[in-house]
Amino acid sequence: MTISSAPDQALVLAAIEQVWGSMLFATAEAWPSDRAADFETGVQAQIELRGDWNGRLVLTCDSDVATQIAGAMLGLGPEEELPELDIHDAVGEVLNVVGGSVKGALVGTWALGLPGVSETTGAPARDESFVVSWGDAPVYVQIVPDAA
Amino acid sequence: MKILIADDSKVMRQIVLRTMRQAGFGHHDFVEAVDGAEALDKVAAEAPDLVLSDWNMPNKTGIELLRALRGSGNTVPFGFVTSEGSEDMRATAATAGAMFLIAKPFTAEHFESALSEMLG
Repeated sequence: MTISSAPDQALVLAAIEQVWGSMLFATAEAWPSDRAADFETGVQAQIELRGDWNGRLVLTCDSDVATQIAGAMLGLGPEEELPELDIHDAVGEVLNVVGGSVKGALVGTWALGLPGVSETTGAPARDESFVVSWGDAPVYVQIVPDAA
Repeated sequence: MKILIADDSKVMRQIVLRTMRQAGFGHHDFVEAVDGAEALDKVAAEAPDLVLSDWNMPNKTGIELLRALRGSGNTVPFGFVTSEGSEDMRATAATAGAMFLIAKPFTAEHFESALSEMLG
């Protein structure tokens, strides 16, 4: 992983690829920019990063994708169900590990917050995100600096 | 042996437990704590032989937990299982008295390597 002074798309994508592969046993690939990536009800996880750059990483996905991510993380079969609280917990922990990996690749002193997870309606704007694949579904990632 | 797993994520506590079983340590007894403050209480109440703790937790972080334990004279073997594994954090952990730091994402081999000498 390259060393940077602030989180950027390449760094966060590398962290996601690592987490997808080692924790979720899946492959993350860039989502084609001309392919639709909409959903109506989703889960959004956020985690703050503080240091030379201040802001947060945000991960948003469809509710079914969140359920699949939680199942993959826990090694569950397709018939096994999880309570919503555990699904949110799993998605937040995925972002926590991504954030930890990003933090480890940044030069300087940084602090990582605790992940927060909530329900969301609709996908973020494409021009404010980059999109990676979870199987055949999109996962939105945003690197959001604090408002000046 | 009794092993205390401290992590504010229930899912991560389950994954640590599963990975300990995969590493061949499933025959030990496990207790759980949801944050550093509860872990401090459970160390006193349960007298575990080993603490596996997350670093970044509400109420009391893992490093605050370790410093509180050592500050009170408790020498329970202590290892971090955390999403952050920078050299600075490893040095801070070692200075405070941690045996090891396993960075997430981890594998059963990481646990075997860190714990086989102690847990057999």
